[in-house]
Amino acid sequence: MTFEVDVAGRTFTVAVERTDGPGRFRVTLDGVLRLVDVSRTGDFGLSLLETRGTVPLAEPDTGTVAASAVPLASRDVQVVPGGDGGEVLVGLRGRTIGVTVNGRRSAHAEGALHGHGEVTIVAPMPGRVVRVLVATGDEVDVRQPVVVVEAMKMENELRAPRAGHVKEIAVAPGTSVEAGRVLAVIE
Amino acid sequence: MRVLIANRGEIAVRIIRACREMGLSTVAVYSDCDRDARHVRDADIAVHIGANDARSSYLDIAAILGAARAANADAVHPGYGFLAENAAFAKACDAAGVTFIGPSADAIALMGSKTAARSAAKTAGVPVVPGTEAPLPASAEAGEVARAADTVGFPLMVKAVAGGGGKGMRVVESASGLLTAVQTAQSEAGSAFGDTAVYLERRLTRPRHIEIQLLGDHHGTIVPFVERECSIQRRHQKVVEESPSLAVTQQLRERMAAAAAAVAKSVGYTNAGTIEFLLDEDGSFYFLEMNTRLQVEHPVTEMVTDVDLVQWQIRIAHGERLDLDPVRALTPNGHAIECRIYAEDPDQGFMPSPGLIRGLRAAAGPGVRDDGGVAAGYTVPVFYDSMIAKLIAWAPARTEAVARMARALAEYQVLGIRTTIPFFLWLLQQPDYLDGRYDTTYLDRVLAERRGESFSSFSADEVETIAIAAALDTVLRASAGEADGRSAPSWSGWTQLARIEALRG
Repeated sequence: MTFEVDVAGRTFTVAVERTDGPGRFRVTLDGVLRLVDVSRTGDFGLSLLETRGTVPLAEPDTGTVAASAVPLASRDVQVVPGGDGGEVLVGLRGRTIGVTVNGRRSAHAEGALHGHGEVTIVAPMPGRVVRVLVATGDEVDVRQPVVVVEAMKMENELRAPRAGHVKEIAVAPGTSVEAGRVLAVIE
Repeated sequence: MRVLIANRGEIAVRIIRACREMGLSTVAVYSDCDRDARHVRDADIAVHIGANDARSSYLDIAAILGAARAANADAVHPGYGFLAENAAFAKACDAAGVTFIGPSADAIALMGSKTAARSAAKTAGVPVVPGTEAPLPASAEAGEVARAADTVGFPLMVKAVAGGGGKGMRVVESASGLLTAVQTAQSEAGSAFGDTAVYLERRLTRPRHIEIQLLGDHHGTIVPFVERECSIQRRHQKVVEESPSLAVTQQLRERMAAAAAAVAKSVGYTNAGTIEFLLDEDGSFYFLEMNTRLQVEHPVTEMVTDVDLVQWQIRIAHGERLDLDPVRALTPNGHAIECRIYAEDPDQGFMPSPGLIRGLRAAAGPGVRDDGGVAAGYTVPVFYDSMIAKLIAWAPARTEAVARMARALAEYQVLGIRTTIPFFLWLLQQPDYLDGRYDTTYLDRVLAERRGESFSSFSADEVETIAIAAALDTVLRASAGEADGRSAPSWSGWTQLARIEALRG
């Protein structure tokens, strides 16, 4: 089966086909074939052994990973369901990146990043509004700080998910907010 | 003997470890949301002390002393934060007949006032950053504030007398912003410390934050240790510490250690404490403040001196004599670095990222120490500081310690929540950090220059691996579902994906 995978601003077409042997796959990424031996490690881990780079492709005609003695590139990856919109978080060597498979990003997140219409800025956790940095009608840039909320002993800047006009500021300094409370609306 | 740990998280786990090595029994206390916390699981005895809000649990003196009584604890270790620098708590422990593992209530009260601490330092012959002698009166008028500022000079800092942790602190570049800064600092200090008093201090432009750990026993002996370099700070909060400092020579080390010991001696200090200094570009140093407790960054000192500071705190509290070799304490063996791993998303302006930890694999191996406070299956609550672990790397020299830290960070897996690990991996590649060319303004400056680009950068090769892993994960989850007999036999197309989506819920 074939997947469209969005990662780091690129969309890859990944075709996956089982071969003989457990965990053995023929994977074609943007038209280039490689053989991958994948093994689950715990609930969210994947150990990948791949033919790639300087590693010679093993028996591509038969689609079989050579039994032994073939050096394979080893990659230890973690794939964890993300919080929103079907995104998964993929971890590799201490770093993390959000990935979507077959465009399963939610309409909300899509609109927030690229679309038009309203987006709301909500409190991610209970806290207290310390400062409001913009006023109704102001123009804001993407990632511009809008409201500062104190929570978990820290002041946290909540930023505009995209550029637009401030349609509404729903809180004032000193307001205590619950998680999920709408703080501002950008349109 | 039985020790109650009046704290939570990694420091509670750290203290439990010290107690266990000494053969002491341990008592954990916990709030509602910490029922599953690691310190509760690790202790011998656990006592529920109240609700999630720290004021109803970890800051509730009566609840903690009630727990000590109920569990027959002989001593209380306060850790850091919460009640660690609360003189009333130390006094209440004494009154309840429980040994407080820390300095005397009087020393806590005296050094807790920044203006009183500055006077004590001056009396001991240690230079302080130029500033106002006494707190500004709460009712001070604009003219009075301006005159005080003129004697100090711009740029200056407005600081809370009861301050700490970067709270109630404001930088003022010129006279125009002065009054607003004083008022904001007063209100912030009021809500954070219950004391609105502030004072003014000159702001050194490019200082390093260097601090001296010390121990004092009840027999008049004070031993200062090799310095800690804590200049890597984000918004006045330390995030990376190391020992020794590249900016400190053996001669300077001895001078700073002697100054720190003189301040401690002048106030009859006992147990563990730290004197913080600012080291100016010209090599002169100034007393900043004293922390009358164990500090977060104590492990780097332990790694380069082979002294267990927590065990010594307990031994000192029970009247033992310090018999450490003072020369050895001032001679660093190798180099140690600590990264404070927070449940924060560095790509979202270091926004807290509380939630369920779905998987955890701490780093290990040669020269690596994990002072962790959480475990898989634990939900990082929103109520407390978001630090989940401290990762410490030691090596014979700094370059190797940096390489070892990078190796350990890349090994460390925390699944389900975001952490600051990608940020540290980035920092450890910055040429200025590698060369030790930094001061307390460095990190905020370079972070501001980044304009929000992600700290997790991947090579083209790695991006391809990630795409493949995401696709294979989808396939494997689908076939695992088949094996469980929960789905249609074939795995083709979109209905399958919709089902997987539903399974993920």
